[in-house]
Amino acid sequence: MKAFAGLHPAVTMTYFVLLLTVCMFLPHPVLQGQALVCGALTCALLCRRGAARDVGFYLPLFLLVAVTNPLFSHNGVTPLFFLNGNPVTLEALLYGLSLAAMVVGVLLWCKAYNEVMTSDKFLYLFGAVTPKLSLVLSMALRFLPAYRRQARRVSRAQKAMGLYAGSSMVCRVKNRLRVLAAMVTWSLENAMETAASMKARGYGSGKRRTHFSLFRFRPADGAFFAALLLLAAAPLAAAAAGALNFTYYPRLSQLQTTPAAWVAYAAYGLFLLLPAMWEAKEALVWRCCKRKI
Amino acid sequence: MKQDLLALFALILLAAVLISGTEVQSVDEYYRTHADEIPPQSETVTLSIRCDSVLRHYDQLDPALRSPEFVPPDGVILPPTRYLLRPGDTVFDILQRAVRQNGIQMEFQGAEKSPFGSVYVQGIHWLYEFSCGPLSGWVYRVDGAFPHYGCSRYTLQNGQTIEWIYTCELGQDVGAEWIGGQPS
Repeated sequence: MKAFAGLHPAVTMTYFVLLLTVCMFLPHPVLQGQALVCGALTCALLCRRGAARDVGFYLPLFLLVAVTNPLFSHNGVTPLFFLNGNPVTLEALLYGLSLAAMVVGVLLWCKAYNEVMTSDKFLYLFGAVTPKLSLVLSMALRFLPAYRRQARRVSRAQKAMGLYAGSSMVCRVKNRLRVLAAMVTWSLENAMETAASMKARGYGSGKRRTHFSLFRFRPADGAFFAALLLLAAAPLAAAAAGALNFTYYPRLSQLQTTPAAWVAYAAYGLFLLLPAMWEAKEALVWRCCKRKI
Repeated sequence: MKQDLLALFALILLAAVLISGTEVQSVDEYYRTHADEIPPQSETVTLSIRCDSVLRHYDQLDPALRSPEFVPPDGVILPPTRYLLRPGDTVFDILQRAVRQNGIQMEFQGAEKSPFGSVYVQGIHWLYEFSCGPLSGWVYRVDGAFPHYGCSRYTLQNGQTIEWIYTCELGQDVGAEWIGGQPS
């Protein structure tokens, strides 16, 4: 996905901030379902190779969150059965599904964020305003991918030394644990080294520095920005007007089908599909240009 | 391979322990419809569940609960009913038996989770703690007095009257003066 990542950092940042805000603070089943499906689609477009492997992580996580809620929350008017004298209710199960959709949806969109907003873009946006905070944030955000890369490296090195080469499950778990122990010290050291290296280059040393970057705010960026603001405004306005209220306990409330709610659903759906649509548009333009040659 | 088999065996053992400690009942099984036969001369107690205070604080109530289905218009969830008292029965035992016989929803936190070593009743009839303002929840009264300890530590005697009352003001609206003030 080149086209979406090629947009101006301010535009992509605004997009993700608005998206994650709606994802986390508007717990509505329709919006959550949309965010989950579109998040999966965008992630599949962004990283084609790793997509299949990710299903193995997100699906169990989804099920775990969905099943955990009804075991601990017993509110709701429709008991399905009783576990140790406590009701397991339909409402709690559905609320668990909604929570799981929210958690997995937010994680998928954060993954997309990580693919698109590389740390140079983040530092470009916030480096001049709050140097320390933006360095810490960009280090934190790239921590997990970097951690995974390094963990694979350590694991390979240990295999090469002949440690834990067995094929049994226990052997692999032991290997992982040993790698984890090594990674704890590595991550602390790495954070310090990065900070020291940035300091040595005079990052945030007080004087206002200029830095080179290739980001230009083009008319296309402006168009995308206007579209995302308009589309995001609809669900936020609908929520403020109470058109997106939904409660699970003690009885599921009716899904709202007022015009305002429909507008909000449609606008949010389009908003979520913006990256994919942008990509499709660029691909079309590219094909047209090629035909003209 | 041998290690794997051992690990698998341990996992199966763990699952077996968890499953054997879990009791699954169907809804009908749980809400036994028939009440205990009360033979003459046997010891009994009287239990009632009321939520009058919610009606006086209706504006604070969670909008999802504003329905006669969840808050009865007369505030009576369970009218005073006699229950057979078995030796050693606590207030919580009677409450649990009563809600099961009458099909009333109830959620509680086990004694092992409470720092006071007693069961904590979180909600009855879908009315939960904090459902009606930040100072709301269930309290109980035995023979007109509010005991100073948890419901599963109060052992009952013959002829006592138990009232479960929903408070919206930390007990002050239902006459429990001691909460937050001087014990009476």
